[in-house]
Amino acid sequence: MIQQLEPILTVSPPPHVHCGRSIKGYMSETLMALLPAVVMAIYIFGIDALRVMALACTVAVITETICSKLMKREQAIDDFSALLTGLLFAFLLPASSPWWLVTIGAASAIFLGKMIFGGLGANPLSSPLVGWAICRISWGGFMDTNATMLTSSLAAPLQQLKYFGLQSIQSIQSSSLILGEQLGGLGEVQIAALLAGGVFLLIRRHIRWEIPTGFIAGILVTAWIYQLIDPTTYASPLFHLLAGGTLFGAFFLATDPASSPIGCIPSVLFGLTAGAMVIIIRVYGIYPDGVPFAILLTNLFTPLFDRIRPKPFGGPHKLMQKGMEDAT
Amino acid sequence: MTTFSFSLHIGETGPLVKGSEPDRLRIPIPCHTPILAEGDQVLAGTKIAIANHDGSGDMHAPLAGTIKDILPESMLIKVSGKDRAKAKKPPAEDGETIREWLRDLGVSVKNITRSTTLIINAVPPEPGISIYEPLLRDYRKTLELGLETVQRIVESSKIFLAAAKGNRANAFANCTVLHVTPIYPNGLDEIVVKTVTGQEMLPGTLPDDTTILSVKDLYFIGRVMETGRPITETILTIDNQNHLIRVGTPVGFLVAESGTMVQPGDRIVMDGLMRGLTAINLEQGVDKDTTSLQLIREDKGLKPTDNFCLGCGECERHCPARIMPGMISRCAEFKQFERAENFHIHSCIECGICGYWCKAQRPLLQYIRLAKYELALLRETKTPSQPLVEFIETGQNGEKE
Repeated sequence: MIQQLEPILTVSPPPHVHCGRSIKGYMSETLMALLPAVVMAIYIFGIDALRVMALACTVAVITETICSKLMKREQAIDDFSALLTGLLFAFLLPASSPWWLVTIGAASAIFLGKMIFGGLGANPLSSPLVGWAICRISWGGFMDTNATMLTSSLAAPLQQLKYFGLQSIQSIQSSSLILGEQLGGLGEVQIAALLAGGVFLLIRRHIRWEIPTGFIAGILVTAWIYQLIDPTTYASPLFHLLAGGTLFGAFFLATDPASSPIGCIPSVLFGLTAGAMVIIIRVYGIYPDGVPFAILLTNLFTPLFDRIRPKPFGGPHKLMQKGMEDAT
Repeated sequence: MTTFSFSLHIGETGPLVKGSEPDRLRIPIPCHTPILAEGDQVLAGTKIAIANHDGSGDMHAPLAGTIKDILPESMLIKVSGKDRAKAKKPPAEDGETIREWLRDLGVSVKNITRSTTLIINAVPPEPGISIYEPLLRDYRKTLELGLETVQRIVESSKIFLAAAKGNRANAFANCTVLHVTPIYPNGLDEIVVKTVTGQEMLPGTLPDDTTILSVKDLYFIGRVMETGRPITETILTIDNQNHLIRVGTPVGFLVAESGTMVQPGDRIVMDGLMRGLTAINLEQGVDKDTTSLQLIREDKGLKPTDNFCLGCGECERHCPARIMPGMISRCAEFKQFERAENFHIHSCIECGICGYWCKAQRPLLQYIRLAKYELALLRETKTPSQPLVEFIETGQNGEKE
């Protein structure tokens, strides 16, 4: 029956209809969600913030191009995933970062965070965080927002809490924290703008409620427990929610599709674990902000969380018998 | 693309239209063995092929003519003349005798077995397929005769009619009507069985003492009983109209009848848009179980890609079988078919919803079907007569995958 007959028809597997979503659409809408924070970052940190973001994005895209070429892959930079990784990475940097730090970080976010595992969708860890972790561990001094931006009049709430105790942050208003008037990663502290972006992603259903809710709940509950233990040493849950990159982590980093679990219950547990870990690192760790490391650590548990599965339709069934499977 | 609705609600449909006679028939015989040779003359109703599988119906010529070509998967008949084979008289005996008689006349009797519960599925299998509506409305007598005949074999004490809420469904005698939410995939047999009996069965299996038949099955069994002639027709929804079409009618003929021009690159989908297969060319004939014919223009419709799985989990969240199509597709993509079993591939009811939601536009259903097929092949080659011996041999050769 296979004979050429005009007109030649398309033969394609089902389904023949689609919801209309694409990787490119997902990436561009996430970029759109980050746009308010980009504007706020430039407004607060000036042209330096723009410099860092532009450089990180450029380096990320170029690195992906080179990697794809080396791996003899079809170029896929037009899906904007490298751009997104670059921007997310830039959001974690202080606006004062030197150019070489941005370049090394963005390149390793793409190379070590993503391409080495096989590219988009195969990364076990959130790729911007891999770049961040490399920079943070290798050049801690340059990554310390407080030390590198001494000229700034903005408060650095998490550093003050860490090094000077609860007293030092009493004067910091929640409202100024929400508006992004704090030192930290240039984009991650734009709380109000990121919240708007996160809500946009939730409405567009690009991210689901489970991970952000679990993450925020994990932070609030853990911080609340510490406050119950000793209200004179530990900061309030609200402070932890608004200071540093908590909301950025909740809406943009923890929800990275490849490195987060996919079921409902696993996602909630993933969020809770990451949230609790943030407070534990903030309280006991040597780093003032625990968000990136908490998410990186929890990413490692994703395969375990994914094992929590409902019973499949009709019950588990295997064609291969146990003995045969061992033999193969 | 985004205007597609999962609703199974069927509005008003017209009467069943009888399709016109094509000048040639290409009868699909993928699971049949032809019993006639090229050049043989056939009458309308002559048996031309025997089913290879137990319970499948034999194939008969829908119209009189000459067999022009026999290929492994189809048989070409050039139509000429009006002669019909003699009608057969239904046997008076119940049970296996009448079951075999029906099978001989082309009825698939796989699900017609003795059981206490009989489910009649009147829920549209997929959105936009309204073949059951005109049957339930205009052909009550035939359906009742069909049900009566089925009952001579099944002898069930409980009969359920599953219908989508909002669609027409009048009960038969001694029959309970059960309404299901009119959302795809609630019309698929697996889900209907679950709704009626509360039991989730592995796709392809039925609970003990329960069997399921569609309204279309009843109609054709009724027809066979009325006329004594074999099934040589099917009912297709084409453009919201239901047509009684002879098996083997080329799809190109049907599309031309509906007044549409096929452009190069278009696809002709047989069955619904979620699960249906595309015709290879305009000469392909419709089969007995085809339920619909739809034309999709080249620029419309999903073009599957080989993008990587993002891991976003959309497929998993929409999956009615609660499995992870994304992970299974990854296994299939890298030929790790046995690993797909760890992700419960056999629970897949092949509804195609995962592919509908996939952001990466991966052909998820195709990956799953491929893995299932490969697993079946693997099982065949690996079913050892003595498992222990093979295990030892493989261990000695050190062949590990």
